[in-house]
Amino acid sequence: MNLLRWAVLTAGVISLAVLILRARWAAAFGRPESYAPARGSARRGIIYALGRGLLPWEKESARLHLATYVAGILYHAGLFGAFAILSAQAADIAMPRPVAFLLRIDLALGLFSGIGLLIKRAARSLSRFLSRCDDYAANLIVDLFLAFALAASLDARAEVPFMAISVILLIYIPLGKIRHCLFFFRSRIGFGRLLGRRGVLPPGRASAS
Amino acid sequence: MPEIPMRKRTWAERLEDLPPRNFKAAIQTLADIIDTPSADGLESCVRCGLCAESCHYFLDDRDLRSVPAYKLNLIIRIFRRQIAGAGRPRRGAPGLSAAAIREWADALYGRCTLCGRCMVNCTMGIRIPSIIRKGRAVLASLGLVPDGLDSTLATARETGNNMGITREDWMETAAWLEEDLRTETSDLRIRMPMDAAGADFLYAVNPREPKFYPLTLTAAAKLFHAAGRSWTLSSHAFDVTNYAYFVGDDALAARFASRLREAMDALNIKTLVLSECGHGFASNRWEAASWLAEKLDREVKSVLEIVAEDLRAGRIRLDPDRNPKTVTLHDPCQLVRMGGIIEEQREILRHCVRRFVEMTPNRKDNYCCGGGGGQLSMSEFAARRKSAGRIKAAQIARTEAQVVASPCHNCLDQLADINKHYRLGVEIKSVLELAAEALLPPQG
Repeated sequence: MNLLRWAVLTAGVISLAVLILRARWAAAFGRPESYAPARGSARRGIIYALGRGLLPWEKESARLHLATYVAGILYHAGLFGAFAILSAQAADIAMPRPVAFLLRIDLALGLFSGIGLLIKRAARSLSRFLSRCDDYAANLIVDLFLAFALAASLDARAEVPFMAISVILLIYIPLGKIRHCLFFFRSRIGFGRLLGRRGVLPPGRASAS
Repeated sequence: MPEIPMRKRTWAERLEDLPPRNFKAAIQTLADIIDTPSADGLESCVRCGLCAESCHYFLDDRDLRSVPAYKLNLIIRIFRRQIAGAGRPRRGAPGLSAAAIREWADALYGRCTLCGRCMVNCTMGIRIPSIIRKGRAVLASLGLVPDGLDSTLATARETGNNMGITREDWMETAAWLEEDLRTETSDLRIRMPMDAAGADFLYAVNPREPKFYPLTLTAAAKLFHAAGRSWTLSSHAFDVTNYAYFVGDDALAARFASRLREAMDALNIKTLVLSECGHGFASNRWEAASWLAEKLDREVKSVLEIVAEDLRAGRIRLDPDRNPKTVTLHDPCQLVRMGGIIEEQREILRHCVRRFVEMTPNRKDNYCCGGGGGQLSMSEFAARRKSAGRIKAAQIARTEAQVVASPCHNCLDQLADINKHYRLGVEIKSVLELAAEALLPPQG
């Protein structure tokens, strides 16, 4: 068990290091200077892009795909819950019962959503057309991570496979699409900065979509 | 013996003749022009496909190749497999295949207007139009700009404007428009000033105005005159458009943009005012300074900002009863979603028409009319352009308006096309035209 904990820790450090390297790699392409004087505020645009701008009533794509949007939120919330359980187990910290109970609900919803998103990806022609192996693999690994996190929170015998899948997930993060955990923020910030400077974001009035 | 002029080779012939080394050079071009915001975007796409319905092409044809994520992933595939880092292709990178080039041209030129609606709807906030522009730039670097757009660029490069208007024709047109204005208004002081050094601003127009729609030019002149503005046209540079923006050729775009700046310097003018042109605004207001790497000590404004300022300051008065028909507004993507000029046109219309109704959706969420991104110049994709205009046509029909106003000449052309194609039976007008029609004589 101790060996697995060390493996998780090592995988976590490697994952983080590779993500940092990837961020530096992307930064090396260079940011074009914006010489044109601003019409709005980049800061307000960034705050909008990372906050209100993610809500379904602000974005047509989320509104039109509300079930997918909600499943995505639950999936990611489940993922954070699983990492909380992993951190607690790796550090040998016992969780208070109510917290553990809430986390189990979170994990169950996350797992349910993850499987739903996987089925949708495989079943819908548009999603199948766009998808690559990476998309299925990433979803499957995260689903297993959530499933074993839930199992480990209920039965100590599941801790070993949970740690094992955690190692796989942590190594996979910077190599596959899950690296969007880093690039999501960089991309949203870039979007907010661009349209914030131009005075497009935050929108002044409802666009009546 | 008379020399027989060589026939210009078509896009397909140019692709056919391309030596293989150029296919590799394309990868070097891509590695050179990708910047950090683009790299962040290329690393972010999770292929969720939620962007699909944000694209008017996909809404129209339901073709999976019209999904923005598909177009983006054509570039992502090459970026991830063949680019090692900034300016560095991977060793042994095979380059772009002829099939990939055809796929890119069809998707990046033929299924995109660079409208940016996918960007505001992208979960990740990926700057999709900017990346598509880079893909177009790669094709341009191979000499593979679609024929119609290539020919528009050549005209702008050779003559200084995209319609090949000579300096003499431009000056003559301005002179007879001035005469017409004086006759129409019985005001001998009204002018179409040319090369007036030290004026408050230089006014740049879309060549479509002197060539086909002089009424929009005289509308601007009436409004400026009524507000007591000091302004001028330049006999050397007047073209607000920049078609190099659509092909991602930043060096050429800088050359085009510098013409207006040189005219300003020659006339000692600090403010450039841009006529109703969406991409003309985005390129001159937002991109030109970066292309030219200059920190501006001059202002670049839309004519809508000027007219709205004059309204607020009471320098002009408009009578909405002179435009009794119901008017709706089409938001040009490059001016509104990508440009930030959102409320000025509404402010003007509320003052100059009796009944103004919004389209739904509008402002940053508006649908592209289908004429952006250089589509109006690319006859090879004309059928698709008109078909995709169906989304805008339906939006217009739902408003039940009799007049569609838009502050962009490219949009006006496309709106006129879809008006005919879908038998909408509406009038298409520029915002300045409506404002000028409602203009009241100065008080006192």
